[in-house]
Formats: sequence, structure tokens, C-alpha cells
Amino acid sequence: MTTHTQVSLPLPVLPEGWSGEKDFKAIGHVSKSTQRSIEPVGPHFLAHARRARHKRTFSEDDR
Amino acid sequence: MSAEEPTTNGAKPGERTAIGISFGNSNSSIAWTTPEDKAEVIANEDGDRQIPSILSYVDGEEYNGQQAKQQLVRNSKNTVAYFRDYLGQDFKSIDPTHSHASAHPQEHNGTIAFTIQDKEEGEPSTVSVSEIATRHFSRLAKSASDFLGKKVTSAVLTTPTNFSEKQKAALIKSANDAGIEVLQLIQEPVSALLAYDARPESKVADKIVVVADLGGTRSDVAVIASRGGMYTILATAHDYEFAGVHLDKVLQDHFAKEFIKWNGIDPRENARSLAKLKLESEATKRALSIGTNANFSVESLAEGIDFTSTINRLRYETIARKVFDGFNRLIEGVVKKADLDVLDIDEVILSGGSSHTPKIASNMSAIFPPTTTVLAPSTTPAAISPSELQARGAALQASLIQEYEAEDIDQSTHPAVTTVKHLTHAIGVLSITGDSAKGVFTPIIAAETAVPARRTIHIATPKEGGDVLVKIVEGGSHIKVTKTEPKPKENGNKDDDSDEDSSDEEPEEQREKVWKVGNVLAEAAIKDVKKGGKVEVMINVAADLSVTVTAREVGGKGGVRGNLAAP
Ligand SMILES: Nc1ncnc2c1ncn2[C@@H]1O[C@H](COP(=O)(O)OP(=O)(O)OP(=O)(O)O)[C@@H](O)[C@H]1O
Ligand SMILES: [Mg+2]
Repeated sequence: MTTHTQVSLPLPVLPEGWSGEKDFKAIGHVSKSTQRSIEPVGPHFLAHARRARHKRTFSEDDR
Repeated sequence: MSAEEPTTNGAKPGERTAIGISFGNSNSSIAWTTPEDKAEVIANEDGDRQIPSILSYVDGEEYNGQQAKQQLVRNSKNTVAYFRDYLGQDFKSIDPTHSHASAHPQEHNGTIAFTIQDKEEGEPSTVSVSEIATRHFSRLAKSASDFLGKKVTSAVLTTPTNFSEKQKAALIKSANDAGIEVLQLIQEPVSALLAYDARPESKVADKIVVVADLGGTRSDVAVIASRGGMYTILATAHDYEFAGVHLDKVLQDHFAKEFIKWNGIDPRENARSLAKLKLESEATKRALSIGTNANFSVESLAEGIDFTSTINRLRYETIARKVFDGFNRLIEGVVKKADLDVLDIDEVILSGGSSHTPKIASNMSAIFPPTTTVLAPSTTPAAISPSELQARGAALQASLIQEYEAEDIDQSTHPAVTTVKHLTHAIGVLSITGDSAKGVFTPIIAAETAVPARRTIHIATPKEGGDVLVKIVEGGSHIKVTKTEPKPKENGNKDDDSDEDSSDEEPEEQREKVWKVGNVLAEAAIKDVKKGGKVEVMINVAADLSVTVTAREVGGKGGVRGNLAAP
């Protein structure tokens, strides 16, 4: 997808003394998920199936 | 796709002529995709785009569609109608109600059949429902072939979301026997949604959609999470008590009573009179979707007496209120079943013939908040005809896959590809409001998104720019209800006779969707953002739920990148 959602509320200022390795701090992980079925219909699904079957990532797919 | 190995008709990918078919109990439609990638419904030789799913035999000649429907009056015994849902079923589990006034379904060799005089001479034949469906498919394929100027070889068909594997297999067999290779079966509401999403003006968006398919003998509703153009059904509901025929029934009873008043005869007591009453009531009902007044006129309705009357839309909406309320309950119920609130619904797609009814659309606008788009002819001038959505979606899918090997299609539709993890919480970023330091959650990837998934947003920074914090968190939404006391009338006119509105002292409810910040996932610092600069945040969730976050100043170099392990 090439359109980006635009958010007008600003990001907060970096707190004094904040530090992270290479400016990044991993804190948690995704908490939960459910198994569901996606419908095998439409152009975006076909792209998904192609990636899944060739074990490709989004960025490999972009090239 | 099904347990049964599809018999192919020898069509090779690349040489196929593929169409979309929607086959309902009441009507069928055929559609194709033009070279400009536009889906269009094909009119049959009678000029009909909604082709009644009916076959009738007169002197050994077969009639289909609208011509067969007319035979319900004179030749009901040799007319087969409302049979789609009988396919692949046991006789014991069908509801034969709608076949009372046409050939009756019967148990035959472990399947369902009809006894009809389908040849000019000799004994009546007993024809299985599978064979009837095959004959109907042959007629549809012929109409499409005649229109396209080449033989249709293949099709995508739509099925209700509660069709069993047995029903699907039976449907595929009937189509195969008519010489149609079934490329894929797709679910009716998904097909309707695809028809809308494929329009050039549609943008890929993350949205929750309710598809209400209000047909002739059944109403089916689905709540679908549409995420980056991929669809996940969250809940479905089915109803057989409130559908198009029940609206017809309201008008039948209305006009029957009027006829009784004038003539002392009940036209519902004679089969032929009842058939005429039914047909004309349906025509009147359809006319009321366009005009605010409609005629009802039948020659020799009963005992040779002609009958003409009129009804206006308001009266119709009043007498049909119970049925409309039934639709409302069904739709509200499925939203609850999906654990959602009306405020969560971005779009309501009204599909199926009964969705032409303006009152149904206006009820949707009343049930759902103003932020919900109701896609119906009377609310949205650019709406696609509700009667065409399913066939159009099927035609689009057919054009997408017609060059694939059958094996590839099967592999792609296999649960190993389609069953995937979905996020239960939204993942987003915290920003601040103008006047307080409190964090506000902005979702980047919505809940119910299938993984792998990737989304990017552009977010503002403080006016002066500088160093900013990108805090990635999970968020859950809930509905906040605030009760506000009814405002006293501005001029305080107590002695006004305002009994109707302001005097009932119920506090007004204000409902809004609010985000609750949950689990913190990561933080990143973007330094030296220039004045008025923006930050791009990309979140990529892999199939195992590991996360990659990338953030950088829009137009800037480098940026920050980090990973979160799978849970
Ligand atoms: N313009 C209209 N206004 C109101 N009702 C209409 C209109 N056009 C068609 N209908 C009604 O829609 C119903 C048929 O809907 P549709 O063609 O979607 O049926 P279907 O999916 O084949 O039916 P079923 O629910 O029996 O499987 C009929 O009751 C018909 O009278
Ligand atoms: Mg239908």
C-alpha cells in the first residue's frame, strides 16, 4: 500500500535522559492472537498467497 | 475446494472463457469482466439481469427465468422453483415451504427430486434436484455464451456462508454436468464486498463492513474485517422468517382483504388466484422502491373479477413494519455476535434484491452512527445495484484466477494458506494533544488484521521539531457511555405544551469509542527533527508475530530500526 495515514497530533518530546541502543528500546511483544481464516478472494489475497507460497516478505515482494 | 475431484471440461488456463454466477433460490445472475476490468451483469435473451431461478415445461418445451415464473399461475405442477437450497441436502432437512405453489420436492433414491411432465408425451419424469440445477446452469451458460460470442467454459460461483461441504460438492457437480468448470466457490458477502472494493474510485482501507444480503427466501448477514484488501469473516447470521417473500405476503394480505371487502371472496383460497396475487404483490412491492405510490392490478383475480387498487409507500412501510424490524434485529444481532458495537462499523453494504427497499436503507442510517457509510441505492447515488453485487464480485474473481492451473487455485485456497494468526489488539503509537502531556493512542495496524501485515503512517512532531519519542503500544477500544441530563429549554418556557420531546426526563446517552493504552512494545528516539518535520513509522508484523519497527524523519536519512521477538 502506498498511501500513508497522516496523523496530525504530534509525537511527544524525547524525555530528558532517555537512552536506547541505537536509539531503540525493545520492551514487550505482541500479547495475543487468534487463528482465523482469510477469504481466498481478491487481488490482495492473491498477493498474500504468492508471498506465502514462495516464502517471500513484503519488501522482497516490493522489488 | 471440495472433497470431490472436479471433472474438467478440458478448458486450459489461457483458453478459458470465465464468468461469475450467482445462483439464488429466487434469482440468478451472470456477469463478466470487460477488457477494461469492469464487472458487468449480462442480460439474458429476455433482457433480464435478474433471472428467476425457475424452470417450467409446457408441451415438452423448457422455459427458464421470467417466462418460467409466469407459468406459476397456469402450469405450477410442471414448474420447479426455489430449489437451490435443496442441493446436497437430505429430504428430511429441507424446508419445502416455498415450493408449495410449484412442483413439490420429494424423496427419491436418497436424494430430492420433482415429478414433472417435461416431455411432450408419455409419463411424467422424476428429475433430481441436481439435474434441475444442471439444466438451469446450462441455460445461464448459454445466455452468457450468446452474449460473449464464445462458449463459456468456466465460472466462479457464490455460496451462502452456511453452505455445508456436501452442498458445495453438489453445487459443483451440477455446474460440471452443465459443462461448466468451477474455478472457485466464493462466499456471497465477500463477493459483494469485492464488487465494491474493485471500483477504481475505492481505496484500500482498514475497515469493518457489515454485508446484509436480503434476498427472497432468506436473509444472511456477515461482519467482515477488511484489512489491506484482505477479508476475514468475524460473524454471520441467517434468517428465514424475514425476507422478500414476507414483504410480498404483507401486500398479498392487504390486497386480499380489500378484495374481500368489495367482493366477499378470498383470493387466497384458490391456488390460481393466489399465484396471481403473489406475482402482482411482488411487482407492486418493487414499484414502491422507486415511486411513493404503486398500482396493483390483476385481471380476473378470482371468479372472473378484475381488481385494481393502489397503495402508497408510507402505508406499505407501516403494514410491513414487523418484517423491517426483523431485518433490523438480525443486523444488530450479528454486530453483537462479532463482539462489536455499531460505532465500530465503517460500512454497511446492502445486498440482495430486497435491499432496493428505501425503508431498509433508512433504518440502517438510523441504527448506525453518521460515521457509518450505508451503501444502498436510496442513500448513496453511486451505489451498485444490490441485485448485481454477488455476480459482479464472482466475475472479478473469475478474471483474477482464470489463467491459473486448477491445482494452483486449490493450493491457494487451502487452509494452510488461509488459516493465519490475527491480531487481537491494535498496534499504534502515542502522540500528545495540544494542551496536555497525556498520551493519545493512534492505531497503525488495526485489531483483526491477519499477519503477516505491514502498515506505515506519517505523524506530526512538535512545532519546533527537535528530539521526539516514538512509543509503540497495543491499544484496545471500548465504548464509553456518558449520561447527560437533558438540557433545559433555552428560553425556559415551562408552560409550552412540549409533552412529546423534552418533558420525558430520560438522561441522554452519549456513546463514543475510546482507546485504552495497553502493553508497551517499544520506544524509539528520532533526533534533530527539523521544524515542521514529520516522522514515518512502519510496523511490520511477521507470521510468527515478531515485529519490526522502523522510524525515520520523512525525507531524512537513516532512521531507527528494531525488532521484537515473537511471543
Ligand atoms: N426493486 C426491488 N424492490 C424491492 N424488492 C425487490 C426489488 N427487486 C427485487 N426485490 C426482491 O428481492 C428478492 C430476491 O432477491 P435476490 O434476487 O437477492 O434473491 P436470491 O438470493 O435469489 O433469493 P433467496 O433469498 O431466495 O435465495 C425478491 O423477494 C424480490 O421481490
Ligand atoms: Mg441470495
